[in-house]
Amino acid sequence: MFYISMFFQYISQYIKTRLQYRADIFVEFFSDLLSQAINLVFILVVFGHTDLLGGWSRDEIIFIYGFFLVPFAVFSAFFNIWDFNDRYIVKGELDRILTRPIHSLFQIILERIELEALLGAITGLAVMFYAGSRLGLEMHWYDPFLFIVFVIGGALVYGGVFVMIACISFWADARMSLMPMMYNISNYGRYPVNIYNKLIRFMLTWVLPFAFVGVYPAAFFLGKREWFWYSFLTPVIGVVFFVLSVRLWNQGVTKYRGAGN
Amino acid sequence: MENVMEVKDLRKEFKAYSSRTGLKGAFRDLLTRNYKVIPAVNDINFSVRKGEMVGYIGENGAGKSTTIKMLTGILTPTSGSIIVNGMNPHKEREKFVQTIGVVFGQRSQLWWDIAVQESFRLLKKVYKVSDADYNNHMGHVIRTLDIEPLLDKPVRKLSLGQRMRCELAAALIHNPPLLFLDEPTIGLDVLVKLKIRDFLKEINEKYQTTILLTTHDLSDIEALCERVILLDEGSVIYDGALKNLQEKWSEGKELKFQFLEKVDITAVKVLTSELPVKWELEEKEQVFTATVEDSGELISQVIAKVVAAYKIKDIKINETSTEEIIRNIYEKGAV
Amino acid sequence: MDKYFEMIRIRFLMMLAYRTNYYTGILIYSINIGAYYFLWSAIYGSKEHIVGLSMTQMTTYVAVSWMARAFYFNNLDREMAVEIMDGRVAIELIRPYNYLGMKTMQGLGEGVFRLFFFSAPGLIIVYFIFPIQFTWDPSVWGLFAISILLSFLINTELNLLTGITTFFLYNNSGLIRAKRVVIDLFSGLLLPISFFPGWAQEVMKFLPFQGISYFPSMIVTKGFSHHQALEAILQQFVWVILLFLPIQLLWYFAKKQLIIQGG
Repeated sequence: MFYISMFFQYISQYIKTRLQYRADIFVEFFSDLLSQAINLVFILVVFGHTDLLGGWSRDEIIFIYGFFLVPFAVFSAFFNIWDFNDRYIVKGELDRILTRPIHSLFQIILERIELEALLGAITGLAVMFYAGSRLGLEMHWYDPFLFIVFVIGGALVYGGVFVMIACISFWADARMSLMPMMYNISNYGRYPVNIYNKLIRFMLTWVLPFAFVGVYPAAFFLGKREWFWYSFLTPVIGVVFFVLSVRLWNQGVTKYRGAGN
Repeated sequence: MENVMEVKDLRKEFKAYSSRTGLKGAFRDLLTRNYKVIPAVNDINFSVRKGEMVGYIGENGAGKSTTIKMLTGILTPTSGSIIVNGMNPHKEREKFVQTIGVVFGQRSQLWWDIAVQESFRLLKKVYKVSDADYNNHMGHVIRTLDIEPLLDKPVRKLSLGQRMRCELAAALIHNPPLLFLDEPTIGLDVLVKLKIRDFLKEINEKYQTTILLTTHDLSDIEALCERVILLDEGSVIYDGALKNLQEKWSEGKELKFQFLEKVDITAVKVLTSELPVKWELEEKEQVFTATVEDSGELISQVIAKVVAAYKIKDIKINETSTEEIIRNIYEKGAV
Repeated sequence: MDKYFEMIRIRFLMMLAYRTNYYTGILIYSINIGAYYFLWSAIYGSKEHIVGLSMTQMTTYVAVSWMARAFYFNNLDREMAVEIMDGRVAIELIRPYNYLGMKTMQGLGEGVFRLFFFSAPGLIIVYFIFPIQFTWDPSVWGLFAISILLSFLINTELNLLTGITTFFLYNNSGLIRAKRVVIDLFSGLLLPISFFPGWAQEVMKFLPFQGISYFPSMIVTKGFSHHQALEAILQQFVWVILLFLPIQLLWYFAKKQLIIQGG
């Protein structure tokens, strides 16, 4: 209960701060839109030269991309910790976090929240509906509920992996930036995993399970029965990875060295 | 009285690597590094009773901050035990920090972009302080620190002195029985310093708040702390009353004379030749300094003799300052 | 000139100091090359050629363009934005060197470091894992060397340009991000320009982006004839000069702005 009330406290502070810089929100939104458009252009150009990609049609791939954008938006809104190493470890902001009676990871997530990233979900939904209508997909009463579950699962997968990467900073003594990692790992769940070889498919399913952010859950809505099993694993993998990441975090905090001052 | 803090054989080691020199060395560093284990805090012991104000002093890198960070649960000790407010700070961190207040002089606790009172409101929720307690306690704090007019300004617009007073108030929102202050007066002007000192004394008396203070400004310590803990290279080299330290280490008193007429140093020496006095002359300002033992009798005699012989423009009696005492101790490396 | 070389050396040392970045960088690039390799194999399916490139050429293209990116890529725009926003740029401006020139040298230091300790070993490793074919014609590699140097200059100029805009915009992180994705796609890093529909190719002839990745990669994969290669290098060279002008202009106004704001 306490944590839920803290969540809303921080959100209200966040909104107050953000209202001071309204222009930023639009700039952010349009640059997101641009990068999403570019990814779509890539898909369109590729399908100018082929009809099927590993057995998936153009509209199916676009649908997967649209789905992917939704958990990704949720993830970006709540796990905006790409500068964790610089801000909290090198500059020692974690000192301050650790003197407060709330779980440290929760505090950092709350402090760095970026709700405007949720706007990306709208783009994602639009892309899904566009592709879905071209594919003639039908909507069932349970689809919206499963959609929400899968989105949360996917966001947790991303969040978990990302927190684990951030945890490296607790052990590594050198400065490192997570941004390029983050930028690059966001790419893999978008394409059907069956185009990759066995090893990479295994990696994307069990080690860095990004396939659960895009293709696996999206396969359910596309009615690809052979992937249903994986679709329903999405929330499980999400929770497992997130719990693991929190465990690792708790371990890491005891290794925190403080900023030298 | 009960101990609020008990530290036994506390130790913190850091693994530091040294870079090899030059480009060739840097490439070797890419593969393997020279690690060295450095004890920042080296098996220290002490305890603090409720209501005490303790000055924790040492040179840069002596291990002060590291100790404070272990006591507040930020860092995990390599070995040894810490019991503060009956808890192990790092193990029960979230419950523990509810009972302490922390001010880091060089780091802000407040949110940069929002008004001070918004930060207070949020912290009030974070520490689960009831409205009644908050109004009762913080009303007083805000008045004493004189920050009422600052409350609706964003933190980034405050001056350092204003910010520091707000930081202090923020650390006290939950009225903690134990307060850690890490260089709270760094870079502040004299007036703000005085205000902060008075305030600390007041809450110490009013709530029996225990205060552990680190600072480079020894006048803070003199004004506030009866007890000091002196740290050097990670070890405690003195733990006791500030007064004892002053008595033990002060090197007598200095009498500084300036005369209306031109006076020769040898003449002054001859004048007091029967007394154990050491004279020195500062040529430019013509200041004559007599160093004598700290005894009222002796001091009176020296002054009487000098005054009887020459017309005085100015006279000062100086005690060895705490700063000098501490400097002496560090130069000799032991108490 | 000495001080600029010193800057390259310092940057070299810094790159070595952040060794975690070095190792994760290697990881990221290998993942990227692997991922695009499989993506392209799926796209090729059973086709032998797409717009004149064989699958082997395509694989070589992917590997070379990522390894070349390690050389020309830098975060100068982001660094400048930070320096300008927290006011450090004022200190930089009173130092006895050309700020933009110094930034370029920093970028070059980074690039040269990655070229030797990242791209070169990386290419050798990739060569054994994926079906890649390199030419052993030294003239091709010579042209490639000139071409990636020009790529570096074009990309750095674009970075400086984006960085300078921080003076005029309150927050340009969005612009920086947008520039990055645009360059990734339109430079030919993600897919060769020849894959785009004809009209898009026409448009891109009037933009500097293809000089960043497409030209050097096509030169090495022998997708270009000798003559085409020379033409491409000439075009890159023209862009290096053309981009120089808006930088000088914006920089002139930026310095004025700085005086007005007082840093």
